Amino acid sequence: MADQPAAPARAGYLRLAGLTKVFPGEGGPQGAAVAGIDLEVAHGELLAVLGPSGCGKSTTLRMIAGLIEPSAGTVEVGGRDITRLPVHRRDMGVVFQSYALFPHLDVFRNVAFGLEMRKTAKSEVRTRVARALDLVRLGHLGDRRVSQLSGGQQQRVALARALVIEPAVLLLDEPLSNLDAQLRGAMRDEIRRIHDETGITTVFVTHDQREALSMADRVAVMNAGRVEQLGTPEEVYERPSGRFTAEFVGRANLLPGTVTATHGAGGGAGAEVAIPGLGTVRATGDAVTPEGRATVMLRPHRITLRAAGKADAGPRGTVLSAGYSGEVIGYRVRAAHDGPELEVEHPAGAGTAFGPGAEVLIGWDDAAPRLVADDGDPA
Amino acid sequence: MTTAVPTAPAPAAPPAGRLRRHRPVLLLLAPGALALLLTYALPLVWVVRMALNRPLDGGAILQTVTLSTFTDVLASSHYWNVIGQTLQLGVLTTVFTLLLSYPVALFLARTTSRWRSLLFALAVAPLLISSVARTFGWMAILGNQGVVNKTLLAIGVIDDPLRLANNMTGVVIASTEIYMPFAILAMLAGFGRLDPELERAAASLGAGRFAVLRRVVLPLTAPGVLTASLLVFVLSLSGYVTPRLIGGGRVFVLATEIYDEAMNSLNWPVAAVLSVLLLLLFGLVVAVHLWAQRVLEARFTGRGRSTS
Amino acid sequence: MRSGPVARIGWAVLLTVLYLFLLAPVIIVFIESFDTSTYLRFPPQGFSLEPYRQVFANPDFQAGLKVSAVTAATTTLLALLCGVPAALALTRLRFRGRGAVEAAFLSPLLVPNIVLGLALLILFAPIPLTDTYWGLILAHLGVTIPYVVRTVTAALAGADPRAEEAAATLGAGPFTVFRRVTLPAIRPGLFSGGIIAFLLSFDETVISLFVSGHTVRPLPVAVLQYVEYRSDPSIAALSVCLVLLSVVAVVLVERGLGLRRSLRP
Repeated sequence: MADQPAAPARAGYLRLAGLTKVFPGEGGPQGAAVAGIDLEVAHGELLAVLGPSGCGKSTTLRMIAGLIEPSAGTVEVGGRDITRLPVHRRDMGVVFQSYALFPHLDVFRNVAFGLEMRKTAKSEVRTRVARALDLVRLGHLGDRRVSQLSGGQQQRVALARALVIEPAVLLLDEPLSNLDAQLRGAMRDEIRRIHDETGITTVFVTHDQREALSMADRVAVMNAGRVEQLGTPEEVYERPSGRFTAEFVGRANLLPGTVTATHGAGGGAGAEVAIPGLGTVRATGDAVTPEGRATVMLRPHRITLRAAGKADAGPRGTVLSAGYSGEVIGYRVRAAHDGPELEVEHPAGAGTAFGPGAEVLIGWDDAAPRLVADDGDPA
Repeated sequence: MTTAVPTAPAPAAPPAGRLRRHRPVLLLLAPGALALLLTYALPLVWVVRMALNRPLDGGAILQTVTLSTFTDVLASSHYWNVIGQTLQLGVLTTVFTLLLSYPVALFLARTTSRWRSLLFALAVAPLLISSVARTFGWMAILGNQGVVNKTLLAIGVIDDPLRLANNMTGVVIASTEIYMPFAILAMLAGFGRLDPELERAAASLGAGRFAVLRRVVLPLTAPGVLTASLLVFVLSLSGYVTPRLIGGGRVFVLATEIYDEAMNSLNWPVAAVLSVLLLLLFGLVVAVHLWAQRVLEARFTGRGRSTS
Repeated sequence: MRSGPVARIGWAVLLTVLYLFLLAPVIIVFIESFDTSTYLRFPPQGFSLEPYRQVFANPDFQAGLKVSAVTAATTTLLALLCGVPAALALTRLRFRGRGAVEAAFLSPLLVPNIVLGLALLILFAPIPLTDTYWGLILAHLGVTIPYVVRTVTAALAGADPRAEEAAATLGAGPFTVFRRVTLPAIRPGLFSGGIIAFLLSFDETVISLFVSGHTVRPLPVAVLQYVEYRSDPSIAALSVCLVLLSVVAVVLVERGLGLRRSLRP
């Protein structure tokens, strides 16, 4: 992953405390669109807010920008409370999902808008706009009308427009969702590069876990108006705190079982869990209920299948279906005869391919099983 | 604004938060609201108030609160006759307008011709042409010396001029043309669900041309037709210029009667009573329309459910 | 409906007849406007531009034209000043009762002009505002504001509110956002609404009949009162002029927001 955690002195540059939004006409216990978010973003950090649609991530972003008034809670930047500050005095650069370029202005004037609002001298406007356009590699298109630009180019103009004012915080609302798949990958690297060059504290909202994992220093996983987990991409993916994160960030087999032994504590904690059909599984983590039950997460690509001989020992299963999708083959496998159904992914072209009905031996690499708190909230 | 947040040195939340939040709304709405209050709401209150006064001789008005002007008007066979003629004009105009507008609207909704914009403009532009000018045109067409009679006389179809002006016939003909653009616009707006693919789909399922029309096109265009009928009926009930000019003082409808009472007889209370009656008639028509719309919708959704 | 050649021709004939009916008064007025006779008759007795000369020489019509032009221009300006902010509030702000407020702003369209005319007469006569410019302008304001609200609302609905938000995040205050972003985006709608308001006021007859008098008498009222007693080719010539004015308006509206969106009932 890209950056080391920021120095303590710069931590908490953007601070959300108890940030809440209840839209009029909603309400009720589940009604808050955003239900008390506490979050700190370090100076120069790139934070992804990841969640399904309707989880409150865009509302959170819009409250930071000042476009929506919070029902409760505060937004602080650099130690200053800006909760009541109107949008146009906040010094936030925002890139909207639809880009929201000004259709009646050309590219140059779009980017220059924020500087004109700041009464920047003409000559300085020219150099700064040129620099911003160079940064997004559009230096040659200043006099184009925005309607003449492709989606990717419009995206870059929106980015340049938000960056040129050198905002305190850069906010990106689903910045890549309107681009086609190929362009999305390129823009992902591009945004990361621009962030590293400018060092602007950035929050971006997305529903795409690959975007969040590949771009961000840290990821805040949101669900139903709350932050489920906050951590580095690796933490969120490898050590999800709960069922929701496990299933939303990547795909997961979640297997309930009975704890037969526990060992270690803290980071080195682990347990042995008896799972029907798979036998005893050794897993890391400490999410064990007082009654001695636990849920083991196994990522599909960390499970291996082998053709089963008569004499082979170990958990067995039957292939229910196989789906080819280019890079991988996805299998659905029934463990034992009445055990859980597993999702398995094998790289296509490596090893044997199995057809439905094939008898297989199920294996996994030892570091893969992970205990996950079962919050009873399937994604 | 509602809950205090302990971590925040709350910048004295204004107690008048509601007003503060609504101030932009009030400021933006104020000029228009004031203008409409002055030029629309207040006058309507005044006219209702006037209807409760008594007329005296010579245009004088007795300030009082009584329903006796209403009862006088409703006891007079003359005014019942006027109401009858008004309804007759409204119904006839609406029927003819709908019949003549429907094919045009249907054509405009389905055509892919490159002249589409022009044809659309030709059909609805009369809306923006002075009704006095258009009514004058109809006087030139329908009069005894007009186009129709002169042509028919010249080719010997008739010996005496047809009586097409200064009577209800002429008013209905001219009104029909005057309100057609309104009807076409309303129909087009209500034809949103009409899709040529649907007709092709129905035909592919074996529906003949007539069946397609009856089972697909008519039900889909019914809402537009209903809106158009409301619009035309309401407009023709209250139209003034056409009944006055084409009617030539021989067609008495509520609108002409209101004008004569107010401006010639200077009998404002009676004019006000007739206005209130016209408004009540409007209310009744709108109520019937809303009921019909609900029935139509229920029918649509009901059918949808039974087939699925 | 795909149909055979007979049905196709029948359909074309029907449509042609209907279009002819729809345009008949305009066509006839045009033909009669060049007649040389002293009263209206068919067919025309000759060809001359005399009727047009007569119209422009008629002092009543000259005065009426001035009254109508001044009234329509002022009414349009005021209707825009009242209607545009209202449309902004109705499309861009969330507040309770917004639907009811919008209905209230459009409701004058539901009241017959004959009733509104009488009502305004009763309200204005004692002040006295009848037979004055301001009375006429106020009277027209009530019927033009709803049209402005409607066209500008349609234009605002077509403009991206996110662009306005973007401007705000870049440091533009509410008024600057309106001037620099909203206004350029809705200019076609504003233009169309203004044209329609102008034409509506310029052609308004019924309400004007009640609130105008001999000193301030708009053109349509003057024409109506003239036509009641005599009809001659000069009125046809005047009608042609009014039609031309409307044609110009139609073209301008079509160039702006578009006829269909502007006239949506």
